[in-house]
Amino acid sequence: MLSKRLFKTASFQLTVFFGLIFAFSFMSLLFITYWTATSALRSQMQSEIRAQLAVMALEAQSDGVATIIQDIDERTAPSDRQAEYYFLSDGKGKKLAGNLDGIVPQEGWRESGLSDSILAKPDGNADDDHQIWGQGVFLSDGSFLLVGQDAFRVLSAQESIINSFAWSAGIALLLAVLAGLAVSRGFLHRIDDINNTSLAIIDGRLKERIPVRGTSDEIDRLSANLNRLFDSNQSLLESLKQVSANIAHDLRTPLSRLRQGLEEARSKTGNSKAYAAAIDSAVIEADQLLATFAALLRIAQIESGSRKSGFKTVSLTSIFDRVTSAYRAVAEDQGKELATTLEDNLDFDGDGELLLQMVANLTENAIRHTPSGTRIILTLENSDQGIAATIADSGPGIPADLRDKVFEHFYRLDTSRATAGSGLGLALVSAIANLHAIRISLHDNKPGLLVRLDFPGR
Amino acid sequence: MIDKFTVKSPTEGGTKPDIRPKQPYTASWSQKRVGMKLLLIEDDERTAEFILRGLKEHGHVADHAANGKDGLFLAASEKYDAVIADRMLPGLDGLSIVKMLRSTGNHVPTLFLTTMGGIDDRVEGLEAGADDYLVKPFAFAELLARLGALMRRPPVNDVKTTLRVGELEIDLLKRIVTRAGKTVDLQPQEFKLLEYLMRSEGRVVTRTMLLENVWDFHFDPQTSVVETHISRLRAKIDKGFDTEMLKTMRGVGYSLRA
Repeated sequence: MLSKRLFKTASFQLTVFFGLIFAFSFMSLLFITYWTATSALRSQMQSEIRAQLAVMALEAQSDGVATIIQDIDERTAPSDRQAEYYFLSDGKGKKLAGNLDGIVPQEGWRESGLSDSILAKPDGNADDDHQIWGQGVFLSDGSFLLVGQDAFRVLSAQESIINSFAWSAGIALLLAVLAGLAVSRGFLHRIDDINNTSLAIIDGRLKERIPVRGTSDEIDRLSANLNRLFDSNQSLLESLKQVSANIAHDLRTPLSRLRQGLEEARSKTGNSKAYAAAIDSAVIEADQLLATFAALLRIAQIESGSRKSGFKTVSLTSIFDRVTSAYRAVAEDQGKELATTLEDNLDFDGDGELLLQMVANLTENAIRHTPSGTRIILTLENSDQGIAATIADSGPGIPADLRDKVFEHFYRLDTSRATAGSGLGLALVSAIANLHAIRISLHDNKPGLLVRLDFPGR
Repeated sequence: MIDKFTVKSPTEGGTKPDIRPKQPYTASWSQKRVGMKLLLIEDDERTAEFILRGLKEHGHVADHAANGKDGLFLAASEKYDAVIADRMLPGLDGLSIVKMLRSTGNHVPTLFLTTMGGIDDRVEGLEAGADDYLVKPFAFAELLARLGALMRRPPVNDVKTTLRVGELEIDLLKRIVTRAGKTVDLQPQEFKLLEYLMRSEGRVVTRTMLLENVWDFHFDPQTSVVETHISRLRAKIDKGFDTEMLKTMRGVGYSLRA
């Protein structure tokens, strides 16, 4: 299955493509080398032959043709391996000397037709492969002299060029294909990892992750990003499960109280005051349920991000001012102090209504979850790092390990749920902060809780 | 805070005669005796029945349209003190009804009554020309109080610099409050609260109405913002006097009367 797919992979196809380009460039290189080597060797042969021709022609002119005949005879003596060829004929075409025969006198360089004219080999060896290249010239007395050489130098050079190219091209191609296969296989293997992990996650095994090699190449980066996607997917699904469970739990309590109250009211006969009281408490329970739903809807609406389109420049200073003036009296009545240090004219692009609610919720939390005598301080300032705000109290604070949890839906530090509240206040704050890219962090105020809001730069 | 709907007074730009009484309210806060003529455009039968019965019990007369087209026809052809409209209606939605009414110069006070409680939905509704927006489910007292507030819109040219309710007087320019000649010192928030209550003299205002109009808060605070300021204001304007002017209407809201 793997091998079939192998040929379909992009990397294998790429390998084949590069192999072809490689082969083509090899062919060009071969052609150029062949041509250059051949012509270099040929001109070397030519100059040797011409030099010899010139010498012999000069001899013939000064000492007569007979000298050359003797000379040729000496040179063609059946001694060692014959590499030089001669032909001399008089003006009427009659052969005078040489180890070639039947040459038509014709001036100039020739590379063909000479090997057929070789006289019987001295060693009796009929070596048909021999090619002879030579040059003919008419001497001053009308006789014709041809000097030739065996072209084996050129031919064997040509042959070895072709051979070496054939071998190295073969090896290179083989290597290219093997490398391509190996790369494709490795690539496929990693793609398979990604596929298998994805399938596992679709299958519900949310904890599976793609192995990352740490090479930080493209596939590694892809795997790491996908892993992050899976992480957020997992945490979203888990929080969804958690939220569903919490909703079920949080709505059960008021619903069952509502039901109990109604049942009790029904059992009481004729007492209109008791009826009224039962109905009143039923309405209160129902209102609380509705408030929880409204908060959930609001969070969902904020998280959908649709509010972003309505962002305007709003004054953070005035938002903090409004919150402070609304809650100062509330804090005072509970024996707490609400103080501020606000920098003037700090603007921010956002949703004024939501930002107000965010600051109000955080301030309310500081008021509601602290004992009498607590001092609550709101600050707003612009520094090099951008606009930052803090809402700090001197109350009991939140243990470090629980600080992240408080932003979850329905999370309440008071597990008995004795205090009023939906447990959605900070989830809403978190949703609003996320919408505005505001970084929200909880710190130890020593004593108490410090909530820090870092607004993004404009 | 100045009532933000002031500019949308029914007499503004329209040809419709102002049929509302010039002095619509007696000193009594009760809305039973006013007898408004209302139009309810609501397709849900049970909700309509509940509202119509409640309105009747409080002495109002109400016509009912179960779809958008009938609603628009009635709103355009009859003269109503106020229109209560659902936003999602068969045929023609509430938003379109209000837009069409406004485009023909009909400025009948309109209150949207809807399950669409999103922030955008409210803004959209008010921008279309509605005067108020109430999200279902709602307390009937809230609806009554808001209808009352719609009736009390002062004419657009009526820019008063002093308000008076009984022996209580407030100078909006100098920001001085006196009761029976004695100066009362108020914090800015208390002043705003009192101003709104005086403008709503004799009527019930709900906690939500105060949050929206005094603090411009469009969410439900988890602490007693309204109660705290009311009790502080009450301590300042009522303490040491024989009659209590700022009354708490249990389960409904507050009312200021002479």
